Amino acid sequence: MSGARSLAFNDRGTSGDRGGGWLIRAIFIATFLVTAFLIVTPLVALLHGSFQTGSPGMKTAFTWKNWADLGNGNIIHTLLITCLISVVTSVFSTIGGAGLTWLVYRSDFRFKRSLVAAVGLSFFFPGFILAMAWVILASPGGIFNDVLDEFFGVEWLRFDIYSVGGIIWIQVLHIVPFAFFTLRGPMISMDSSLEEAGYASGANPWAVIRRVTLPLMIFPLLSSLLLCFVLSVEQFAIPAMVGIPGHVNTLATELYLLTSFSPPNTGLAAAVGLAMSAVTGLSIFLQRQVVRRHTAPTVTGRGYRVRPLTLGPWRVAAHGVCLFYVAMSFIIPTLALIYTSGIKFFVANPFEAAWTWRNYHQIWESPGTIRAFWNTLVVAGGGAVLGLVLGTLIAWFTHRLKPRGYRALDALASLPFGIPGIVIGLGFLWSYVYLPIYGTLLVLVFCYVARFLPYATETIGAQVVQLDKALEEAAWASGANRLASFRRIILPLLRPTLQSGYFLLFIAYFREIAAAALIYTASTQVLSISIWAFFENANWGVASALSIVATVITVALMATVMRAPLKV
Amino acid sequence: MGITVKGLVKHYGGKAVVDHIDFAIADGELVSLLGPSGCGKTTTLRCIAGLETPESGHIAIDGEVVFDAESGLVVEPYHRNIGMVFQSYAIWPHMTVFENVAFPLRVRGVAAAEIDRRVARALERVGLGALHGRSSQQLSGGQQQRVAVARAIVHEPAVLLFDEPLSNLDARLRDRTRAEIRQLQRELNVSTIYVTHDQTEALSLSDRILVMHDGRIRQLGTPEAIYAHPNDMFVAEVVGAANFFDVTVDESGAATDGGGATFHTAFPIVGTGRARAMIRPDKLLVGPDPGGLTGPNTLRGTVRQRLFMGGYYEYVVETGSGSPRVLSSREFAEGAQVVLSFEPSDCIFLAGE
Repeated sequence: MSGARSLAFNDRGTSGDRGGGWLIRAIFIATFLVTAFLIVTPLVALLHGSFQTGSPGMKTAFTWKNWADLGNGNIIHTLLITCLISVVTSVFSTIGGAGLTWLVYRSDFRFKRSLVAAVGLSFFFPGFILAMAWVILASPGGIFNDVLDEFFGVEWLRFDIYSVGGIIWIQVLHIVPFAFFTLRGPMISMDSSLEEAGYASGANPWAVIRRVTLPLMIFPLLSSLLLCFVLSVEQFAIPAMVGIPGHVNTLATELYLLTSFSPPNTGLAAAVGLAMSAVTGLSIFLQRQVVRRHTAPTVTGRGYRVRPLTLGPWRVAAHGVCLFYVAMSFIIPTLALIYTSGIKFFVANPFEAAWTWRNYHQIWESPGTIRAFWNTLVVAGGGAVLGLVLGTLIAWFTHRLKPRGYRALDALASLPFGIPGIVIGLGFLWSYVYLPIYGTLLVLVFCYVARFLPYATETIGAQVVQLDKALEEAAWASGANRLASFRRIILPLLRPTLQSGYFLLFIAYFREIAAAALIYTASTQVLSISIWAFFENANWGVASALSIVATVITVALMATVMRAPLKV
Repeated sequence: MGITVKGLVKHYGGKAVVDHIDFAIADGELVSLLGPSGCGKTTTLRCIAGLETPESGHIAIDGEVVFDAESGLVVEPYHRNIGMVFQSYAIWPHMTVFENVAFPLRVRGVAAAEIDRRVARALERVGLGALHGRSSQQLSGGQQQRVAVARAIVHEPAVLLFDEPLSNLDARLRDRTRAEIRQLQRELNVSTIYVTHDQTEALSLSDRILVMHDGRIRQLGTPEAIYAHPNDMFVAEVVGAANFFDVTVDESGAATDGGGATFHTAFPIVGTGRARAMIRPDKLLVGPDPGGLTGPNTLRGTVRQRLFMGGYYEYVVETGSGSPRVLSSREFAEGAQVVLSFEPSDCIFLAGE
């Protein structure tokens, strides 16, 4: 019976021996309060801050000025630039992701497994490291331009990554894997006999794509487009690294500059942040509406096999394009970082370079960097446990137990989806200055848990929904009480999901830079911030070495914890 | 002892899904709850298992009160002495066949040697003796169903509860498993409630059938009694195919319809006026039309459709009183003129709806 309410929450007055009922309610209330505290506090603080003349912690007065200042030419210009970058980025990312999805799941593309693995690797490749690599490659003094100059003597062709085009280029490389992973679910579950019926009716492949596949995929594509748009708007690391040097500001970097450079204008930053959240929040709202409309027929049964479409002569071209993408998004940037980390001073020609381990030695010799390592480990390793526990509780309450008020909890927990990382960071700056934990790692942990809460609840919730309720009921009917059923049935069944959820959160916390940029202090510096700082000080060698070490450590750590972290 | 249910009421969202249900099941008796989906049969079963808490009523299992609204007593499902087979089987995918079946014994703290012995016997009973080390992921639907049954009986519960246990099996397997469940239940001699929407299952398995509709009991009785003497049109259709004729009953107890046919019944009539005459398709005898006058309990008509069903034919015969379905082993061509006749003991008058 679909309308059945859970055993634990029959709210009627039958007292009797209802062991556990009150305990579960107490846990629910605690979960609700913690979630509300984590998410509502920074938002309220931000709203408060946007009406203040001064900065957090200082004596301030009420003002309308910040909101009025949103209308000045500078902010409007930044808003338009942000929209331009984000619209172009999301369109290209969705096209790229859709193309890859189609090649992997509908065509006779030769290297499907390798392609999916490579896209998975790019997916986990942090945006700020990718941006750094592309500065090394394509800034005015970077490798590409040097090569053009020295080897080919071409003077009219110059790359400049410090530009709107540069930002878009790196963002597309970075977001295509996301589009791929959001589109592949709908693509896999789409009934391929609908397309086969198209061929059987005499349509050629192009006509089938245009008249069957695309119309059926229109809602997933729209949804992907909106999500990519949000990712692009909230993207901080890439525009910070290549935009700020080129005097191209997006809302995210503008907010950062307003807060971090003297004289700070934290009030205006709060107003900008809220305006930004309105844009992303609206996009997420639209995306939810779009997802609800998606009702294309799906196949869940196993055993059917899609007959892959023969690409013929186009296959070579497809291989070439994909190889180009993988090279640009992962292989060449990694090589560039390895190269830069191994030379004394930067030259484009490896034969003129003075090779050295000095950059790696510097990592171990700097106490600040060692501390950043430990901080990152505590925040990512320990914080992910906290995020996972909270996410599991929320998913269990919203999808299974459904007590009174579960909808409010659900809405609360999915709110961070629509709030850019830098804005959450600013909210924490506005609120936690007044709390005794300010300046400790706990603030970072709270901030990350709040920012990535939807990751946890969505991942675990999807599994909880799949879990047949009868599996637990069968345990009760067999004589196991609630605790025993949870421990012996539910927990073992959820374990793989909890593991991959932990991995996801660890990676997200590990590489987060936007939320940390505003709230870290000297003693709570994390790895991503260290790398950025070295890079900003033109110490490309140490920054690259640190990136390489960080990447190796993550992969090694996750390989031991998860055994097969990149199974795709 | 068995199971006693009194005044059971359960609402979902303001709608009474179970609306004052009373019945009792004797020791070793198998009772089917039969009805269309949404009639409240599964909810009734889940209330007995303790997976739902009713708003009012009283439930006792094996003489022990497990629910009583008045005193506020609600015994948790895991403290009720039950064995249950779920529609989805609910086989735990992370456990072997052995561990699945052993679970009820493990949570009761039974000794290891005893567990081995009893799991082996339970698997033997359902014909899966060789499979105990198998991962539950490698089982066919039929095997999963048997594991679910073994798990439900291994701890020798006071009652067995089946929630549409055969609805996910294919037709052939369903027939075989049905017979096995009946035999197993006889051997164990345990009170059993069996929820189904399949009339064949209910008719063939049950000691008694409880027909439900809109949360209420429409009829409770042996399969034979319910088939032959349904209380109303709803029950008549739920337990088998039925032909209905609109008739008017007069004081003499005979009934006539608009087509001029006369119906006599062997049973006492309840009242006069508008009613429905019900005759099962296998009780209408079909023969060639000899011409001339026909007597009561005969209908003259034309064969409109003929379906060969293997051992017999199914006909749709157009008569002046309607187009009943008729089963017969005799062969007639479509368009043939025939006469249908029936015994007064096969004709029953039901109140019109």
